[in-house]
Amino acid sequence: MSERIQQALTAFEKSLDRRLLAALEVCARCGICAESCHVFAAEPDFRNAPAAKAEAVRRFYRRLHDPIGRLFPWWVGAKDLTEADLEELAEIAFGACTLCRRCTMNCPMGVDTALIMRATRAMLTAAGKAPEMLTQLADAAIAREENLEFFREFYIDQIRELERELQEQTGDPDARIPVEKAGAEILYVALSGAHTILPAAVLFHAVGADWTLSMFEAANYGYFLADLQRARAIARRIVDEARRLGVKEIILAECGHAYTVLRWEAPNWFEDFPFRVRSIIEAAAEWIQQGRLPLDPSANPEPVTYHDSCNLGRNGGLLEEPRIILRAVVQDFREMSPNRAENFCCGGGAGLVAVPEWYEKRMRAGRRKVEQIRQTGARIVAASCDNCRLQLGDLNDYYGLGIRVSGLIDLVVNAYLAARRMKATAPAAPVRVSVQELI
Amino acid sequence: MSATTLWGWIVLIALGLCIGGLGWRLYGLLARPYRPDRAQPRGSAWRGIVYAFTWGMMPWAKESTRRHFLPYVRGVLFHLGIFATLATLAVSPWRSALPASITMAGLVFTGIGAVGGLIGILMRIFDERLRALSHPDDYAAVVLVTVWQAAGMAFWTDPRWTAAFYALSALTLIAIPLTKIRHCIYFFFSRFFFGLFYGRRAVLG
Repeated sequence: MSERIQQALTAFEKSLDRRLLAALEVCARCGICAESCHVFAAEPDFRNAPAAKAEAVRRFYRRLHDPIGRLFPWWVGAKDLTEADLEELAEIAFGACTLCRRCTMNCPMGVDTALIMRATRAMLTAAGKAPEMLTQLADAAIAREENLEFFREFYIDQIRELERELQEQTGDPDARIPVEKAGAEILYVALSGAHTILPAAVLFHAVGADWTLSMFEAANYGYFLADLQRARAIARRIVDEARRLGVKEIILAECGHAYTVLRWEAPNWFEDFPFRVRSIIEAAAEWIQQGRLPLDPSANPEPVTYHDSCNLGRNGGLLEEPRIILRAVVQDFREMSPNRAENFCCGGGAGLVAVPEWYEKRMRAGRRKVEQIRQTGARIVAASCDNCRLQLGDLNDYYGLGIRVSGLIDLVVNAYLAARRMKATAPAAPVRVSVQELI
Repeated sequence: MSATTLWGWIVLIALGLCIGGLGWRLYGLLARPYRPDRAQPRGSAWRGIVYAFTWGMMPWAKESTRRHFLPYVRGVLFHLGIFATLATLAVSPWRSALPASITMAGLVFTGIGAVGGLIGILMRIFDERLRALSHPDDYAAVVLVTVWQAAGMAFWTDPRWTAAFYALSALTLIAIPLTKIRHCIYFFFSRFFFGLFYGRRAVLG
């Protein structure tokens, strides 16, 4: 057995807890999961079915852990793990599965194929078979903390530039984007780039929130690698910052996997988690329900549909909040079919969108999503995850959809600024939408 | 000792092996670490778990089972037949004392299960997808359980089939922990984890 195989199997054994073992053992190979997978739906080759993808893992699992697999491997389709298998597994776990769990929802046994694929990713990362780009991005995030002093000045200069834009948009010369403000109630963790900072800053200003911007970005490529050590190191930067500043709450930018990491996974990694973690989607929905944001939906007159991010929706539970927001800020909201927990993945999740050589693969995988969008007749597709937005934008170009992709918060800001303008020109009561009306 | 009594003992030994084998499987599972989610839940874990074992198993509850409605119902009937055949085995020593209604119910449910199994075998042979996924173990398991259910049905029609039914019962019981039939034990864990995950996250339940 080569050293690489040994490393792979050691990592796999570390992942093998009760949930994973049950997922590996319970599949009855009925194949009913096939069409639930967006990759299979786009390319109905049975090798793309979740059961077939997981079977590639079960083969070596049985060889190691099943007495029949050890004695008569041909009887149960067991085989030793080889270097060639690692290549095949990398294509499957990183390139043909976005960990969206749509198959799990559709499996009569509840087989958690995403869990199997995560264990496979962990194994491949340990064996040095993970996509180079994901590894580099994860390491760059870790390096940022190690060289924070080097970045700080440059970052704060950039934020001051943005602050001027914020003052312009809000008409308030005192509007600020605070950074590293000790004692603030909220630590807002954005993504790389102004597009997740400025709109959020407008909303924080609108509701008079006591907030501060994180020095770090929410993205966590260690999570995509299923590399617990890297994922923890990246998350720890934010957790430590929140502790240091003494905030009561972390609010995350519109990012699916960051929500999964900090809302659901990080409490398993760190002993002390004395603050709550929310998405800005939850906060915005709450502010709208409380009537704290004057809104003018006529600012968003075009038909809008919403793409449920798998991490936020099916796997995070944020199913109604985006709809509360959209019903308040757009004039013509149209649901995709299926939607909410049954929605299809866009095809770019779990890091696929970051790997340039998989462009064609993810364009094919997004075909079902393209059909869903076309059926709505919408001109704007709202998405509350940055990776989904990138993928949807690429799908738009590739398939000539003629749509515009927008973040939810961008639509809220449009409606808010329009309401402010309206108020400035002709004083009127803010548009308040009742909770009942929104639900 | 009559042949029936002898077979009865053999079945009991097989049952012991089955329980021992499943116990060993269960130990293998429970010896693995359990890593519970410590994040504050959004929803109720128990509602999710109850959903996973009840409404969530209904043929209309999932897109996949709505799409594959008949194959899914076939699978449900096949499994109902398995429970009926197990019940048949449990009450078999008192067959002559049982009311006709029990005999009829046993006959019907084991019969439905056997037909469901037969269709399952044919599907696995002729459906290209299932063939691609299947190993010899998959075919052998479904054939064994189908023949066992058929023997259960034969037992209800004529007591002369008792020895054959007991022989197949013994074989099936021994096969449970060794073949894919062992999914019967993992099913409960898998659905439990499924319900727990989606219940806590307020997605289902």
